[in-house]
Amino acid sequence: MNFKDLQKELKAIKGVSNLSLIRQNVIKIDLEKSVSKAFFTKLKEDFYFEHCSLITAVDNQPDFELVYHLSCLSGELTVDDTKMSAMIEVHIHLKRDSPSIDSVSDLWFGANWHEREAFDLMGIYFVGHPDLRRVLLPEGFAGHPLRKDYVYEIHEEEW
Amino acid sequence: MSAKGIRGNPELRRGLGSKTTDREKIMEDGPAGDWLALRSDQLLNWIDDAVYNAAEATGMREVVDRVTRPIFNFAQRFSPHPLHFGIMCCAIEMGQASAPDHDIDRLGLVYRSSPRQCDVLIVNGPVCEKLRPKLKTLYEQMPEPKWVIAMGECAISGGPYWDSYSVVAGADTFMPVDVYIPGCPVRPEALMHGFLTLQKKIREKEPGMFLRRD
Repeated sequence: MNFKDLQKELKAIKGVSNLSLIRQNVIKIDLEKSVSKAFFTKLKEDFYFEHCSLITAVDNQPDFELVYHLSCLSGELTVDDTKMSAMIEVHIHLKRDSPSIDSVSDLWFGANWHEREAFDLMGIYFVGHPDLRRVLLPEGFAGHPLRKDYVYEIHEEEW
Repeated sequence: MSAKGIRGNPELRRGLGSKTTDREKIMEDGPAGDWLALRSDQLLNWIDDAVYNAAEATGMREVVDRVTRPIFNFAQRFSPHPLHFGIMCCAIEMGQASAPDHDIDRLGLVYRSSPRQCDVLIVNGPVCEKLRPKLKTLYEQMPEPKWVIAMGECAISGGPYWDSYSVVAGADTFMPVDVYIPGCPVRPEALMHGFLTLQKKIREKEPGMFLRRD
């Protein structure tokens, strides 16, 4: 599949908006939260994005933003007669009072720990995740420290 | 066991035989009243008490103590084996200190990889909440006598991460520290100076002695 055809097909999908090309081989789109699981399944099975590079969360007060970086490393997607691998950058906006979204860790196994990290530090809840625990901070830590409204305490212990 | 170690715990202190123990009673009654099955620590205590009392009664304790103390002290001063344990960038400087440029081996510092064989714990980086119990375990696994060196700003006070949500504000909030070496990161010369300071400290305190008595 060619990269130009991919852009045309992506524009036709419902829920996708603001499609733009931020580099020669990178597409950036905004996506609605409600269609996210169906869209990611389609990306993996029809458009050859078989690798999940990164899932990260941003706190744009008052809302959260999730950024998914997916790439096609197999060479099925060709970018204008070059050998570059195609990438797509999906932005999803979440409301602050309900920061939850469908998990994609059953599509891409590597998304498991990315989602755990986003839950740990930013408090995004991934529905359907098999094992949503903290990954960096100790168990029993209160709060999600990378949120902008997090207030920390200094922990001390007597010896 | 508490973090204060074996010397700070009165129960264990009595087991090792301090001056508060009634020595004659121990010699009459035996170590724990159970002669058929001695635990290893009971056997050690019994041997300790028997040898100590014999040496004390004949006046040999003072003589042997006076003769062996400088030798024990010399041995401890010139072989403080540090634990080969690195947290962050100060660990690179620790490696550089033992490279041929600043050959720290000539001070008798041989890095050992097991805490059971070590005398010195070098805390060389920020201690985060998840690392703290592990570091405490490492400290408690080391045999007495033991010393702790806080290397670099992060280990002294938390350094640039002093107000972080997960970094402990200094290693001395949960373990006794003997020598603080400032620097960010500490230069190998500074680490060497820290070890020389530790040697001075060992010499002043004279911890080497006959038996395990205070």
